[in-house]
Amino acid sequence: MAQRDDKSVSATLAAATCALLGGAASAPVRAQEEPNWEFNTALLYYGEDDDRVQDASLSILAIRDFLDEKSLALGLSVDTLTGATPSGANRSNGAQTFTRPSGRGGYTIAAGDLPLDDTFRDTRVSLSASWQQPLGRMNLVNVGATASREYDYTHVGVNGGIARDFNQRNTTVSAGIAISRDIWDAVGGSPEPLSLMSDVGDLGNRTGEDSKDVIDVVLGVTQVLSRDLITQFNYSYSDSSGYLNDPYKIVSVIDATSGDTVPRQRGPGVEGPDYQYRFESRPDSRAKHSLYGQAKYYMDGKVLDASYRYMTDDWDIDSHTIDLRYRWPLGENGYLEPHFRFYTQTEAEFYTLGIVDGEALPSYASADYRLGEFDATTVGLKYGWKTAGGSDLSVRVELYSQDGDIPIDRLRGNQVGYVEYPDLDALIVQFSYRFNR
Amino acid sequence: MAGAAPQRKLEVSRQDGCWKAEFLSMGSPCELLCDDDNEVVAEAAAQAVAAEAWRIEDKFSRYIRGNIIDRINRAEGARIDVDEETARLIDFAVTLYELSERRFDITSGSLRRVWTFDESANVPNRADVDAILELVGWHKVEWSASALRMPPGMEIDLGGIGKEYAVDRAAAIARDQTTASCLVNFGGDLAVSREPSTRDAWSVGIEALGGGADASDTIIKLSAGALATSGDAQRFLLKDGVRYAHILDPTTGWPVQGAPASITVAADTCVQAGMLSTLAMLQGEGAEAFLEAQGCQYWLGQAYGV
Repeated sequence: MAQRDDKSVSATLAAATCALLGGAASAPVRAQEEPNWEFNTALLYYGEDDDRVQDASLSILAIRDFLDEKSLALGLSVDTLTGATPSGANRSNGAQTFTRPSGRGGYTIAAGDLPLDDTFRDTRVSLSASWQQPLGRMNLVNVGATASREYDYTHVGVNGGIARDFNQRNTTVSAGIAISRDIWDAVGGSPEPLSLMSDVGDLGNRTGEDSKDVIDVVLGVTQVLSRDLITQFNYSYSDSSGYLNDPYKIVSVIDATSGDTVPRQRGPGVEGPDYQYRFESRPDSRAKHSLYGQAKYYMDGKVLDASYRYMTDDWDIDSHTIDLRYRWPLGENGYLEPHFRFYTQTEAEFYTLGIVDGEALPSYASADYRLGEFDATTVGLKYGWKTAGGSDLSVRVELYSQDGDIPIDRLRGNQVGYVEYPDLDALIVQFSYRFNR
Repeated sequence: MAGAAPQRKLEVSRQDGCWKAEFLSMGSPCELLCDDDNEVVAEAAAQAVAAEAWRIEDKFSRYIRGNIIDRINRAEGARIDVDEETARLIDFAVTLYELSERRFDITSGSLRRVWTFDESANVPNRADVDAILELVGWHKVEWSASALRMPPGMEIDLGGIGKEYAVDRAAAIARDQTTASCLVNFGGDLAVSREPSTRDAWSVGIEALGGGADASDTIIKLSAGALATSGDAQRFLLKDGVRYAHILDPTTGWPVQGAPASITVAADTCVQAGMLSTLAMLQGEGAEAFLEAQGCQYWLGQAYGV
């Protein structure tokens, strides 16, 4: 046999098999070894301009497929956050001094500058695990757990879901639930809501740790409409209760007429604020409802992916999100994918540009820019390609721009001259690498 | 097991979204996995498949008295006329005999009289092997399309083809019985009846033969065609530190050395997959080079002696 042209062995064997079986083979063999583990890794850089938040993130998701459509997924991600974030205080014509969240020391923001809290620096480690398996002939169930830890914040959660196929697997109905508990162990302790920022060293208004509980429920339908068109619709409900404040966010106390931040007398011989600020106060519950629709349209190797989300909550925030991606084959193994996303939201009912001095304290007040009215646009481009070894690589670059608009009639007196929404521009760069082992 | 009627019953159960029918045939656990929603259809397909497996076993097992193989083996030099199906199997074996340079030989079964692979040190002496070799060799048989004459004492055994043949026959029967996809699995040799419509593929696990405790099973997704495995980590002899694998080379009467512990091959039919894995085994150390030259998909178990 060694002398034989080896290729002729297969040909002779095929002919002999045909004679034996009478040409009964159904179709040419299609067999593929299932890799033991699939690794999805990503390195992400997110950077806001003006020395605001910078985040470098490394994430790994490892998926192990077992027989009979069972699979295990394990995730790990590490984030390093640095930079500064708007504290909520208004700009001012004078320099402003703030007591750090720790109560140890203070920092000063120059006149006219946006007050940023630069103590924001943290490392977050997140873990996730989930198991998926069929239940009966048409159902797929999954259970999972999540946990994350950073210096002042801990999250633990469990989740589960079931998906059921109907209509010759053209329709999939799914339901999922996630329950989590998040614990704030704020630096220096969480401040009493609406209490005044005190002098350095005075932690009299601080309490211990606080927690919130979140329940998310998702109901979805995925419908294959044709070979080329797949649609998905989701309704989701999210209920948060407990401590929903950001313990580091403050609101300027302002004069009813001038709109200027009201001065304050420091304690003798101590560092501390020269103006009055109160810690924010949010309701202790929030209920959100979302509707989501997505369509994926396959056109000869190109894929159009369009989605829309509407969200409304009992804080009076309504938002709309439109997301468009278009995947364009490029060369033998590559593709180019432009991405456009537009987001707009209304402000929370308690979003404010200042607590008016001398009036009764409101129940709730926050100047967190994320609760204000704003639009955000993301424009990006991704290039991905498959290596000879079957791994997938991609590079994504995106620009994010957030622009808020404060109606002029919301501004009091001098605020017209210096108070504005803290707009935000950010750069996102991501490398992804998916491989099997 | 000689002459004893095997226990013939079929058990149907629901497993992981399909119907699973189990039975015993050809000394192996056999099963049919069927994607048909209708239990009546699935069970009818399984009955037809099992009936075919048992028919082939009855007709070609060398352990069953009175069948064509038994009559050939007891003919004592007389000419035996064979039916058309037996003739096709023998013609196929002759092609393999030629393709393998006489290493695939349906008369090699006599060597089992001196070789028993029971993990012991019972390696036969050369004189005994040489004596048995007198009774081995297809070229000593007269074969003329429908009649066979064999020297007294020689035996033929179609066991090296029978199971793969049965798998392909069963897949064809399942294809006639239902429009849903079925996976035929006779003792680890498999074939898909038609491409699945309600799942991506059938997931098939190959045991990590001889790979040690840390070896993980390989999972193969099969949506069309067949898989067959040659090799058996449990069947060997060990003497003076030399491991004698159970693949015998009928041209020498001695085991082939250096073959992988197992070879799994994917091909259009189970017969092709099984013959490619067997031919590769007979190459010993050259098994992988042979498989590469065939351009087929294959998976090797670890070599002996690890």
